[in-house]
Amino acid sequence: MDTKTKTGTLLEAEELLRAPAPAPLVPFPLEVRVPDPSRQTPAVGQRTTRPDARTHGLGQTKYIDDFYVPGMLFAKIKRAGVASARILKVDTSEAEAMPGVVAVITGKDIPVNSFGPSLKDQPVLAHERVFHAGDGVAAVAAVTEQIAADALEKITVEYEEFTPVLDPLDSLKLETPGVHAPSANIYGHKLIKKGDIEKGFAESYRIFEASFRTQMVEHVPLEPHSSLAQWDANGRLTIHSTLGRITLGRADIARTLGIPMSRIRIIATVVGGNFGGKNEITTEPVVAMLSKKTGRPVKCTFTRPEEFYSSTTRHPIIMDYKTGVTKEGKILARKIRLVLDGGAYCSWSETTLGKACILCAGPYEIENLVAEAFVVYTNKTMTGAMRGFGAPQVCFGYESHMDDIAKALGIDPLEIRLRNALKEGSLSPTSQMLHSVVVRESLLQAAKRFGWTGSAQGAQA
Amino acid sequence: MRAFEFFAAKDSSHAVALLAQHGPKVKVLAGGTDLLADLKFAAASHHPRVVVDISRADDLRGIQMTDQGLRIGALVTHTEIMNSPIIREQLPALVDAAHTIGAVQTRNLGTLGGNLVTAVPSMDSGPTLVALDAIVTVAGPDGKRQMPLTDFFVGPRKTVLKSDELLVEIIIPKENVGKPTHFLKFGLRKGQALALVNVAASFWVGDVNTFKAPRVALGAVAPKVIHAPTAESFLEGKPITPENMVEAGKLAVDDAKPINDFRASAAYRRDLIAVLTRRALESAYQLHTTRKATERSGQ
Amino acid sequence: MVSVSLTVNGEKRTASVAPETTLLKLLRETFNLTGAKLGCDVGDCGACTVIVDGNLVNSCLMLAGQVDGRDVLTIEGLATSDQLHPIQKAFEDKGSLQCGFCGPGVIMSAKWLLDQNPDPSVADIRDALSGNLCRCTGYTKMIEAIQTIAREREDAKSVV
Repeated sequence: MDTKTKTGTLLEAEELLRAPAPAPLVPFPLEVRVPDPSRQTPAVGQRTTRPDARTHGLGQTKYIDDFYVPGMLFAKIKRAGVASARILKVDTSEAEAMPGVVAVITGKDIPVNSFGPSLKDQPVLAHERVFHAGDGVAAVAAVTEQIAADALEKITVEYEEFTPVLDPLDSLKLETPGVHAPSANIYGHKLIKKGDIEKGFAESYRIFEASFRTQMVEHVPLEPHSSLAQWDANGRLTIHSTLGRITLGRADIARTLGIPMSRIRIIATVVGGNFGGKNEITTEPVVAMLSKKTGRPVKCTFTRPEEFYSSTTRHPIIMDYKTGVTKEGKILARKIRLVLDGGAYCSWSETTLGKACILCAGPYEIENLVAEAFVVYTNKTMTGAMRGFGAPQVCFGYESHMDDIAKALGIDPLEIRLRNALKEGSLSPTSQMLHSVVVRESLLQAAKRFGWTGSAQGAQA
Repeated sequence: MRAFEFFAAKDSSHAVALLAQHGPKVKVLAGGTDLLADLKFAAASHHPRVVVDISRADDLRGIQMTDQGLRIGALVTHTEIMNSPIIREQLPALVDAAHTIGAVQTRNLGTLGGNLVTAVPSMDSGPTLVALDAIVTVAGPDGKRQMPLTDFFVGPRKTVLKSDELLVEIIIPKENVGKPTHFLKFGLRKGQALALVNVAASFWVGDVNTFKAPRVALGAVAPKVIHAPTAESFLEGKPITPENMVEAGKLAVDDAKPINDFRASAAYRRDLIAVLTRRALESAYQLHTTRKATERSGQ
Repeated sequence: MVSVSLTVNGEKRTASVAPETTLLKLLRETFNLTGAKLGCDVGDCGACTVIVDGNLVNSCLMLAGQVDGRDVLTIEGLATSDQLHPIQKAFEDKGSLQCGFCGPGVIMSAKWLLDQNPDPSVADIRDALSGNLCRCTGYTKMIEAIQTIAREREDAKSVV
């Protein structure tokens, strides 16, 4: 038997099923070479395949909802369905008596019922107050998912409903009742001032004003939020979760459960899409408490509707722009006010506020600038992190504004941007000196690729 | 999904017997693309006690010419309509309409009968069939009855079917098989979208190039799929000209009662009715001239 | 309970499940074939796509009782123990998947398409994938991968 061939064939077969190495292996050096950080490594420029491509293609990647553990229970969360209310009474007795229901918990069962990446204003389960219709008010663990869902309908909740605050411009007004009274509705503020905008406007050939709005957007990861909790006899908790920021999540879970972080092990596996929506805890403390109460592993997976009303979304932003320009379209002064719809809870609003405010002037040289941004509470689904953190919304604002100005002045929209673009050494709105600035070059290259030959209005300029 | 009992019917008579036996809290399962999606999130009061699966009732399948006309079994899927040689040749508008429904997976499961019985006013299979004066056969414990499709629909998600009755087949009258017809749908996406407005236009070309037996059917702009009678009576006997098509489009708007909803305003829908009606008439005429040219060249 | 007896990926399988069990749940929970995913449960996202009797379907929109006596093909039935299916290989080479959640559904749709239409146009491919939502990739590399397979098959034929 030709063992060489047999081994070769075996290796080939194994080769097909093993994750491929990214580049040919370099022989281990005998002398220790000190790497030169300024030199490029051999891996750069190599063609490679993703390590998870193999398991994805085979359908073997295990996402959290693909885990089945012996004795596992399924949890479902009852949603408030009212935007703003006080919870008067929660009756879970009928649900608890249902065959197949093993445990029911409410907000009062959570040791520390508040968490959040910055402001800790979000409850695990609503306790005394409901702040948006997607708030969880009770959770059930049962032997099947359907029994858990049926049990939710047997839980009766009595609400004293309040008029919800839905328009962020209303939230901005001092006379509007505080969503989280006694806290104010404005829970974040940022102000950037540069130069003298009054002088800039006074010197302007023309002043343009416009208002833009963007809508609430949901990430819609194909994989819904999911987590699975198990305790061991030493009081150590293991959670498998779709959570992206597991270190932060661990801190929030420790806080809400009142246990040291050292007792918590979080395992995040391959996630089926995050895009910022899986940046903070959702079901984790719920399944942990249910698991503790039942002594069994508990898994909870969001339904697709829950993804829309009970998970974070992108901040809608109302943007008011006032820009003073020369006859040639050079920006002399810009004043911007942003109002971010900050939903029912803070979540990642502070980061979003910061980014939106710093970026809302656009990639343009502006000596005289005032950019003021507010984030306000409303009784709607919480707004949090979503790819861009405020940058996409303001981009819509400043670029639409630029197009309007170009059209009004009869200047080509590409030309007006080239006249105003940031350059090497330009100062940002916060007076940071910028390097490796390629705005002009990018615009010109893009224009070439798109075949931009100028607009009809540009010919007149 | 909440629990229910499940019975698989062997054929349509067995199905009717099962419906009569287990009603009235009974639902018919064909393709499941509406029913099962609905049951996943519906209220407890809405939930049936029994589901009767008719997907194996082969006597409800098939597309063939009969004495009455072109018969399409209620269980024929949208994909089967798209692939049917006789429909592709004689009534390509039905192929176009089927192609606008959902996506591949839902077209493979979804049935023509199911689409009609669910009776959503924006249904994509409705307008073309209404424009072709289709009739339907309903089977119940007391036997079979036939009626025009327009009489089958009562309102949004409501037909004349009782809980022990079944839609058996859809028939396009013999005299309308091959009638030049065109269907247009306007949705917010090219796939998996509900129609904001859908329109079917159908007419024979009469002597001296006039509209003969013109029909304009509109969907998503009234509680059910409707004819546009003002547009139809205007067109009858008139010369086939672009101006008359434009006028018919305007008249069709007056026959409709579109609403404002989160997808579109009534005003926008009115604009769509006028444009889509005109375009559907143009394309139906185009089909006629193409066929005539093909005939002449002896193919 | 309904008793079903069916073929799954070439193997005879039987099960006794509650009548309201969907084919998706039957595959995932009874047969532990977790390749088909639950993305929406109402037939919009296509993550549950499988092939039943040669027909590409949303498994969340079929009941277990409806597949009695039928032939079901899932993502787990494509590769053999020593070879990837050409679509899986092409997707891997092109980097067509990112988070991978839509992957099994898309690959089943691609298989169904290529079985019907060995030389699909870009429009045909888009149409075939329109029932599979992907939030990560923008579909570009999936379309490229499918075109590559079609081209390779053409080249293989011309060699003969």
